Amino acid sequence: MKKKPKILLVLDIFSLVLLAVAAYLSLNFAPMEVTMGNVQKVFYFHVANAWVGMLGFIAAGVAGITYLRSGNSKWDNVEVAAVEISLVFFLIAILLGSIWARPAWNTWWTWEPRLTTAAITEMIYLAYFMLRNGIEDPNRRARFSAVYTLVGSVSVPITFMAIRLFRTIHPVVIGSESAQAQGGFNMSPDMKIAFFFALFAFTIIFIDVFWNRIRLGILQNEVEELKLKVME
Amino acid sequence: MSISPETTNYMIAGFVTFFVVFSVYITSLFVRWNNLNRDKLALEELEKDKKS
Repeated sequence: MKKKPKILLVLDIFSLVLLAVAAYLSLNFAPMEVTMGNVQKVFYFHVANAWVGMLGFIAAGVAGITYLRSGNSKWDNVEVAAVEISLVFFLIAILLGSIWARPAWNTWWTWEPRLTTAAITEMIYLAYFMLRNGIEDPNRRARFSAVYTLVGSVSVPITFMAIRLFRTIHPVVIGSESAQAQGGFNMSPDMKIAFFFALFAFTIIFIDVFWNRIRLGILQNEVEELKLKVME
Repeated sequence: MSISPETTNYMIAGFVTFFVVFSVYITSLFVRWNNLNRDKLALEELEKDKKS
């Protein structure tokens, strides 16, 4: 395994700084929203985590297609990395949404379109790892996983569009507001700064973690190959 | 003038949840990296022994 590239090290540090600034902007810089109180500040991280979660699921689908076309196992590694990281970010988005919903909707969870589709998406990608664990042959595993991520990635636009297509209480912050939405609000200029900075920060953090996770996958493959060599 | 509801505890819970889950994941990456590196070194030693 090659030594960690300097640019990745710089990206690690940059990501940490961005995370600290995003937290500062959300907690201290952005004003308190009047109707919801301080819990609204969770929204900046909630949306940013959901964004990178969806980005990763789409990236996994793209890696899946590329694997099916090229047959190169490095794309299988990229796909696994994308799914794993996105599962974590998307889980955080769901948890933060639930925490926000308790005071805003007076419930931790409700089976409305956005929450339901988000939960289904998370479960689809959890099942991805069950599928992988169930197949021993690496080539077959990679091929099946690639097809699975390709089909699974359909759930991402459905989740994204759920609040725009169906009657839902989930607010649409960017774009048209649903008449049924509860907890929606208009962003002030300072709120927009915190919001867009969080989106930017989490995109960079995602790239950084993604790169690190791909390197872990490469190391994992090297160990597997060594094991086979030793056992021969 | 409207009074905002007191929801600071939920805000704290939200940020704590984020930092805990994210830290656990990053720690898991570190742990797996170290374990794999250790395995790799051991396997390389075994391979050397096998050759000699």
